[in-house]
Amino acid sequence: MTSRRHVLAMLLALATLPALARAGTSSGAEARGTEKTSSRRVVTLFQGATDTAVALGVVPVGVVESWLDKPVYPYLRAALADTTLVGLETQPSLEDIALLAPDLIVASRFRHQRIEPLLSALAPVVMLDDIYRYRDTLTVMASALGLEVRAQALNARLAARLAQLRARLKAHFGVRWPLTVSLIDVRANEVRSYLAPSFGGSVLAALGFRWNAAQRRLSGVLVKLSGIESLPTLDAEVFFVMRHSRGAAVAAHYRRLQAHLLWQRMDAPRHGEVREVDAIDWSLSGGILGVFAMLDDVDAWLAADERRART
Amino acid sequence: MADVRALRIGGFSRAIVWRPWWRVLAVGVALLLSLSSCLALGKVPLGPTALWHALCTPSSDTGLIVWQLRLPRILLGALVGGALALSGWLLQQVMRNPLASPDTLGVTSGASAAAVGYLSLLAADSGSAWLPLAAAAGALVAVGLVYRLAWHRGTTPLRLVLMGIGLSALLTAATTYLLVSSAFSTTLSAYVWLTGSVYGGNWSDVARLAVGVAVALVAMGALMRHALLAGVDDALAVGIGVRVQVMRGALTLLAAVLAGLAVAWGGAIAFVGLIAPHLAKRLVRIPGTAQVVMSIALGAIIVMLADLAGRTLFLPRDLPAGLFVAAIGAPFFLMLLIRQVR
Repeated sequence: MTSRRHVLAMLLALATLPALARAGTSSGAEARGTEKTSSRRVVTLFQGATDTAVALGVVPVGVVESWLDKPVYPYLRAALADTTLVGLETQPSLEDIALLAPDLIVASRFRHQRIEPLLSALAPVVMLDDIYRYRDTLTVMASALGLEVRAQALNARLAARLAQLRARLKAHFGVRWPLTVSLIDVRANEVRSYLAPSFGGSVLAALGFRWNAAQRRLSGVLVKLSGIESLPTLDAEVFFVMRHSRGAAVAAHYRRLQAHLLWQRMDAPRHGEVREVDAIDWSLSGGILGVFAMLDDVDAWLAADERRART
Repeated sequence: MADVRALRIGGFSRAIVWRPWWRVLAVGVALLLSLSSCLALGKVPLGPTALWHALCTPSSDTGLIVWQLRLPRILLGALVGGALALSGWLLQQVMRNPLASPDTLGVTSGASAAAVGYLSLLAADSGSAWLPLAAAAGALVAVGLVYRLAWHRGTTPLRLVLMGIGLSALLTAATTYLLVSSAFSTTLSAYVWLTGSVYGGNWSDVARLAVGVAVALVAMGALMRHALLAGVDDALAVGIGVRVQVMRGALTLLAAVLAGLAVAWGGAIAFVGLIAPHLAKRLVRIPGTAQVVMSIALGAIIVMLADLAGRTLFLPRDLPAGLFVAAIGAPFFLMLLIRQVR
């Protein structure tokens, strides 16, 4: 009987543990709540936030390492020359962030939900739901930084750019418009197609491009092809193709695809409408500067097509 | 056995062997040393006085780093490592098999399949808040399934181990399928989880895991005698009046709960459950409380040091602790085996 009483006593002692733990966290939680700030020590924890900060004219004091052309995307290197790297997007170094003494941290619920309590102990945090919805990122960051006017200017520039390109596309292709498109990501051992809700896809969709009937029926932001036999599901009048890395394996895979009969029989390859684009602009940047670079690519492709039509 | 003492307080009596406790004490000191070096090292290395100052002033800059960033993470690592080690010790004892561990009995793979399934199917709607629950549930379901499948008028350790290996393989296949078919972004967080990481541990994580582990430890205290008898042949155990099947079930369940808790908060950190009890058995040869405490302390040290390596060696990158568990544990383990062979 005595040992049973010991067990009870221990259980009671344990019951006090959560109270102790709460006492430990409460001091950090007070920093939350002050979301709006005009100060400029910003740390961005995903690529789209870094891109958007630079677009808003704010140079972050800390950013996470890029996915490609590490440690910083070439188009951001000049702007971020004096910026500190705080590790990987999936697991940023919290101590580095603390040392930077930021007054705003931009993170995403998708990647950083687990560390939200810690981040908000360090500085006010804004959390985006997704990392690829560049419009949301722009709106939320602009209001957190008090830069709504700059965001409006960027949005207006984007809208004008889109309207102008849409008109040119419609005029050039006439009754053929809207064209079907596939945004293809070639990886070392896999092929992916990004659909209309994805980062790159949303820009193509805003220009008026459509996906083929099979791909329109799919939900989600992307499809992974299960094998080379399913290549025909990509069929479209235009292909924008990006390589997932600069490595030889991806290049070799892309060559194998291009040599395949199923590839050659699709609409875009037959009519020479396959355009190679950069994965940083079309997928990995995740921000509005990447979108402008995408529109430049579409512009260049359209200009080439227009010249071809004239001759 | 001159160094055995009997402790009797009323109806409570235990035989205590004093000698191994000196080694346990030494490992306890090592545990404290690694705890303090984990607290001191990081992006901002702190000397002993600076560390003391930081500990005394929780609201200063370094105090914030030590109290909010380092300490909860270190404690989470220690709890995860200790729970995995204890689970491994129990399973090796119950299964009478030196290769038994949470990894071979389907616990880790059950938790992994559940966690990856959760990340790819549900996380989009409900965030990752319920991930620990999903993982723990997966671990328990897997063990329940192993037990049910291995049941044929009772269980035998060998059938349990074989069934566990079979089910692990099946669940690993399910995990791989989920990874292949899920969206790109899920895959990345799933891989981090599968490697095992105590990154981002905060005080509420520590508190919740501590409560779970403490309850399991109480149960362990109550079942300790049977855990020691589980190593004995079934016929002999029945002969001395042990309810073999009931106790085997209870001990396996306890091991599964411990590993499930650890995996829920630390991800699928492999190998600790296997090597920590082995190291403990080298240092304390007689199965008993000293060996159990030794296992727990070693498990805690392994994960703490692995996490220290993960967050300091490749600054500013912060890498999952799971990567370094094997890197630290395996050479040590091999060294001990080689010395034993000689």
